[in-house]
Amino acid sequence: MRALLVIIALGFSMAIMVSIPAGIVANQEAAQAMTANFNSTLTTMQEEINKTATLIECQTFGQGMFPGGSPGFPPGGPQRQQTYVEESVANEIRSISGVKDVVEFLTVSSSETTSETINGPGGRTFTISRPVYTITGVTLNSSFIDDYSILPTNITAGRNLRQGDSGVVLLNSNLTAYFGVGVGDKVEMYGESLTVVGVYDEAGQERFEARSAYMNITDAQTAAGLTGNVSRLDVYVENVSDVDSIAEVISVAYTSLQVTTYKDRLSQLDNMQTRYNETLTSAQATVSQTGTIATQEIMIAVVATSLIVLFVMLYTVRERTKEIGTLKAIGFSNWNVMSQFMLEGMLLSLVAGVVGIAIGTVGAPLLSGILLPQISPFGSRGNSEFQPGTANTGNFGNFGILGASTVTVTPSLQTMLIAIGAAVLLGALGSLYPAWRASRTRPAEAMRYE
Amino acid sequence: MSEAVLKAENMSKTYMMGKREIQALSDLNLQVNKGEFVAIMGPSGSGKTTLLNVLGCLDKPTGGRVILDEVDIAKLPEKELYKIRRNKIGFIFQTFNLLPYLNARENVELPMECLKTSKSERRQKARELLKLVGLSGREEHRPQRLSAGEQQRVAIARALANDPAIILADEPTGNLDTQNKYEIVRLLANLNIDRGTTVVMVTHDSQVASHSERVLLLKDGKITKEKKGLHLAKKRLMCPYCGSKVQPDDERCPSCRRRLGNPEENKS
Repeated sequence: MRALLVIIALGFSMAIMVSIPAGIVANQEAAQAMTANFNSTLTTMQEEINKTATLIECQTFGQGMFPGGSPGFPPGGPQRQQTYVEESVANEIRSISGVKDVVEFLTVSSSETTSETINGPGGRTFTISRPVYTITGVTLNSSFIDDYSILPTNITAGRNLRQGDSGVVLLNSNLTAYFGVGVGDKVEMYGESLTVVGVYDEAGQERFEARSAYMNITDAQTAAGLTGNVSRLDVYVENVSDVDSIAEVISVAYTSLQVTTYKDRLSQLDNMQTRYNETLTSAQATVSQTGTIATQEIMIAVVATSLIVLFVMLYTVRERTKEIGTLKAIGFSNWNVMSQFMLEGMLLSLVAGVVGIAIGTVGAPLLSGILLPQISPFGSRGNSEFQPGTANTGNFGNFGILGASTVTVTPSLQTMLIAIGAAVLLGALGSLYPAWRASRTRPAEAMRYE
Repeated sequence: MSEAVLKAENMSKTYMMGKREIQALSDLNLQVNKGEFVAIMGPSGSGKTTLLNVLGCLDKPTGGRVILDEVDIAKLPEKELYKIRRNKIGFIFQTFNLLPYLNARENVELPMECLKTSKSERRQKARELLKLVGLSGREEHRPQRLSAGEQQRVAIARALANDPAIILADEPTGNLDTQNKYEIVRLLANLNIDRGTTVVMVTHDSQVASHSERVLLLKDGKITKEKKGLHLAKKRLMCPYCGSKVQPDDERCPSCRRRLGNPEENKS
């Protein structure tokens, strides 16, 4: 019973020694994972911002003015009067000095409508009448497609649109479900027969149950009977510094256009970067602090283990004085007695070491959690993933990092072997003095001892 | 019959109890011959246990000489004494002193572990010795499953394990009931007759002492009286080889025709 308690006590001591290195490794891995994650997030953001910093978005009125407010979402609410501008406007803007590219869009909603019940905020439901689908025609120029985010990025089936595509359409999954079609099937939109080349998912499509499609702008113009008309122009300028002045010119010259710039996102990136750097610095500080704390804790565990062995063995020697006397009387030498007790101490700690590894393996995450400082990225926002938004939706998504909690704390085999070795060594160390005491016991006195 | 196994000459032993010096043994002379069964009697505090401890090399005398098997143990350094204890002495204790976590056989094997005997040899010898003390079939029992008498038998077997020159028994019957007491003392007496084992037994029980062949009376650290025990007569009247009756004057056993006298001499 006593031996069991001792073994459990020693075992915990050993478990600390086993789980601390595992905890350190886990913390380091977490810090590395975090750094990698931050870097990729920042790179993605940088790319996004590079694409949009020089963007001036010019929209005609009526488009995108639906409840919810975010620009770029297909209209879902009650339709306002949609206005369009001539394609010549695009050419005029293109001729403004400093303008690099103008990408034309035509977004049209079908005149057919469906009546649906949707869930609104606060648990209320609305019955709304909305278009069956909304099509967006895009200038399919391969350099535009490569350089700017003008097409959906999340293709779930088939392929994306590309330069030269005509008579084909890219549907979102809501719309394929509505039509009951797949890639390669033909659908009829605005009386035109189009072949489905791909299916995409877009942010927010579930919430709004939007049914939208992308196609070549000329196809869209033909289908909707709006030849020569566009509803949005994405103006890209050469220099970020020119954005404000050019935006000013456009908004003054074309009152039918609503002008939005994204230059201020750069400062957003700076903020983000500062925040990330702070978090990384604190994570690295935690890792180095972990090392110091771990050293102290392991030292304490080592000292505690040796002391436990020392006192237990001293007690054992005292308790078994008579036995030692007997052993000496029947011819055991000092060395025989000493090695006997040393062996016992080492055996005790060996068993405790095995128990400790068992406890350590099971309880390593818990123990290292208690004993070591943990890395936590941005407090509670550990699990939301960074979702890059497309430039024309302007949705940056939630920036977050996969938490350190996903890194598992498991003692390695090497740690275990070292722990067993350390256990035996500490057992020998702790029982050295008691065993020596035992060996020096004078038999005549020991025999009198009760 | 006059070869001395153990001899103490002018031996004394003093203890320091705090600052007070206690004379436990003073100027003690003693001789135990080979094949003898000697009992030492005395009231408590007379120095019986001290005497046995000194004779058994558990303690060193402070004066005089103690010669065991031609070695003066008083001159040996403490570190060398274990060899004497290991090879020349077999101890039997009042409280048996068996190791509780070892079974009977392992307890008997214990003294042999310090010698370079093989495991199978040790096991074989332990079985033989346990058979000799009448414990066949109980080899694997732990002390707590044995009666007091049986435990003392195991202790006797253990004392015999390294073929000692002398067996020293400190109150071997002190913790036993009447029946076991006589069984144990008879066992010692028979070992003395059958194997020629030299036995020195300390006891305060005159009935037990009377089973020996010579009883020494110890008082105030000195041997004050010596008398003959029953064992001598019994020994003289019994052939050590076949157990048949012999006359004190017989040179040879009438039934087996072997020479009587010192059994050790005859065996060789």
